[in-house]
Amino acid sequence: MQKSKKIVVLGHFGVGKTSLIRRFVTDTFSDNYKVTIGVHITKKIVELSVDNKMSLILWDLEGTDDVDSIREAYLLGTHGLVFVFDVTRPSTFEHLNADLETVSKKVPNTPLLVVGNKSDLVDGVELDAVLNENSLTVDFVTSAKTGNAVNDLFVKMATLLD
Amino acid sequence: MNENDKLEILKDILFDDGHKFEEKISKRVKNLEETLNQRKKLSGKVNPLIEQQINEFKESIPGTLGPVITETLREEIKYRKDEVVDALYPIMGKMVKKYVAQEMQLLQERIDNQLSFLTRWKRKLRSIFSGKKEEDLIIDDLATAKIEQVLLIEKDSGILKASFSKSNTMDEEMVSGMLTAIKSFVEDAFNQRNQNLESIEYELYQIHLQSFATHYIAVVISGNFVTSAKNKLQDVIFNFYNRFMAMNLDLVFDSENANKKVSTIGKPRIERELKKHFGNAKI
Repeated sequence: MQKSKKIVVLGHFGVGKTSLIRRFVTDTFSDNYKVTIGVHITKKIVELSVDNKMSLILWDLEGTDDVDSIREAYLLGTHGLVFVFDVTRPSTFEHLNADLETVSKKVPNTPLLVVGNKSDLVDGVELDAVLNENSLTVDFVTSAKTGNAVNDLFVKMATLLD
Repeated sequence: MNENDKLEILKDILFDDGHKFEEKISKRVKNLEETLNQRKKLSGKVNPLIEQQINEFKESIPGTLGPVITETLREEIKYRKDEVVDALYPIMGKMVKKYVAQEMQLLQERIDNQLSFLTRWKRKLRSIFSGKKEEDLIIDDLATAKIEQVLLIEKDSGILKASFSKSNTMDEEMVSGMLTAIKSFVEDAFNQRNQNLESIEYELYQIHLQSFATHYIAVVISGNFVTSAKNKLQDVIFNFYNRFMAMNLDLVFDSENANKKVSTIGKPRIERELKKHFGNAKI
């Protein structure tokens, strides 16, 4: 039987949440930035094995600088969370631990993956420096533009929820 | 007694008292330390036992306290009707208010139908001026509401539990998610989490939303969806939901079966029931 899971993707403005989802669902990328208002919902079926498929219903929440202000109604019944930040913009990760704590309080006991996006804009050395200097622990470093690690991220989430 | 002797006596008095006082204080501090240490030691040993007891108690609640709670509730309802009414009033009040409003609208529609003499003459005139046959106009007027699609959705997550559709539409799982997001937004935006969005209209279609405790049902309707049709649709929905509840042991607290393994029913079976209830329903 195919299972369905609600995955909420959240983070600050312009970190590339919508682009990540678009890359995962339609394998495309656009440089045109359109602000997400409210929430946008998409779906993709992930095949974990021959007889095991999972339908991921992706809730792309509008970006916010204050994670505390996210509408709680959108978080109800969430099975998995993806918190995205932009590795090139310190304002999106300087309060990362506090943001993650707030999210975990709002949606307790739910798998949460932390993602540093836009890795194509920095080289490996710069990226390591950013992560080390800010003591950031991330699960995935992705690029919606090149597609780097995007699929792995959502497959990992599906595996966690299986 | 010279000055030195006096000083010696004063020293004796002062130091002796000070020494005793110091001893007293250190004794008390020592006592306190011992009590604290003992408590820590004790809590280390006792806490796991208490935790285990609490867990065992929690697990045994359905079996031991379930029947007692049910019995107590029954007694409370029987002997303290006023208090129960008070507690239920806000919920019942809303339901009664809604029911009365709906019935009033229904009554108005019936009165309108009674005035069909006028309607008939109006139709005749419309026929003359529009050149359209009177029979066609009657058919137009009577374009009844039709159920196009039914979605059974989990209230919080927006996950589609089952669906029934007469035609192919866009991905139903995405529609369910979007409907839930709209519903959540409206209910949250107006700080009315205890109230529910009941319908969405778009041109030729209307989506009727019927909320329950853990799920809600969205019915897409085409045609003339008047109050009488809404009434009939609600009956169909309630009949289905009662059946759905009966199929889900996890949604019904049954003290006698509390220890039984909870069985969840599969999507195909729910969809068969949806088709049975909504497929040929006339509203």
